[in-house]
Amino acid sequence: MSLNSQSNLDADLATHLGRSRFVAVSGFADRVVSAVHAYRRRQIIRWSSFATSLAACLVASLVYFGGPSDESLIQQTQSLVRSDEASQLNALLGLADDLSMLTPVVDKNSLVVEVLEKNDI
Amino acid sequence: MTTPSYSPSSEDEEDKRLMALVAKGDDDALRQLVDRHHPRLIGYLKAEVGSQTTAEELAMEVFIRLHRAASRWRPEAKLSTYLIHIAHNLVLNEWRRKTRKPTSTLESAPEPGDQSHESARQVVELEESFDKAVSQLPVEQRTAILLLVQQDMPYEEIAIAMKAPVSSVKTWIHRARTRLRDLLKDYYENQ
Repeated sequence: MSLNSQSNLDADLATHLGRSRFVAVSGFADRVVSAVHAYRRRQIIRWSSFATSLAACLVASLVYFGGPSDESLIQQTQSLVRSDEASQLNALLGLADDLSMLTPVVDKNSLVVEVLEKNDI
Repeated sequence: MTTPSYSPSSEDEEDKRLMALVAKGDDDALRQLVDRHHPRLIGYLKAEVGSQTTAEELAMEVFIRLHRAASRWRPEAKLSTYLIHIAHNLVLNEWRRKTRKPTSTLESAPEPGDQSHESARQVVELEESFDKAVSQLPVEQRTAILLLVQQDMPYEEIAIAMKAPVSSVKTWIHRARTRLRDLLKDYYENQ
């Protein structure tokens, strides 16, 4: 490096700065790849925790702002039973139609059959 | 250390190919890219921040950001220019976050070799003077002069890396030279 005059400033500057132009670090590429893997893992954890939180919020909103729950249906049914409103209960539970379908159909005997039975003929 | 023996076009094509592989999650391609570019990047960052450790940390962050942006990267400029651009932004953030620590001359002090003790001392003193003078430059002037003198980048590439007009780059470099002459005037006059 020249030490003689101010006119050599540019050359000295180029020499000085150019000396450290390349600084190779052994194993640096492996460190970068490890750091990238760690970054990917952090991203996966971040996204999975975000998805979990989102799902929890969704369930909470359904519970608080959704339709009637099982609990309220049970309470409604019990109140109907207590007030002995069987028809409403049947209508609510849809049992009436089912029972009528299950009831066997029994035809009455004809008059001729009744007379014969009465007279032991 | 020697400059890689690629011609500019084949080097750019290879960078482009490797970036496409990095975008697909290829770790070997990332390793190759880092091996190709980290010596120059760390050299630049070390000149900017004055610390080998900080330079390596910042270079690591540059490559992580490069990996994140790999799928969106378009080869509008050289990859090395893009890396310097990311590094420059990190340096600006670093400087905003804290004031610069004095440059350690121990890491860059040359081996005396067969020089006399006196001339070796003069070289070390000049190294320290240069480090101190460069560190006193405003950040834009310092980056511009480093990219021009240390990294041998043309004005146009410096402008892309610094996201500034070429005219601003020329002004910063002119002012940096003037300021360095002023800061080192005493040293040169005493020789």
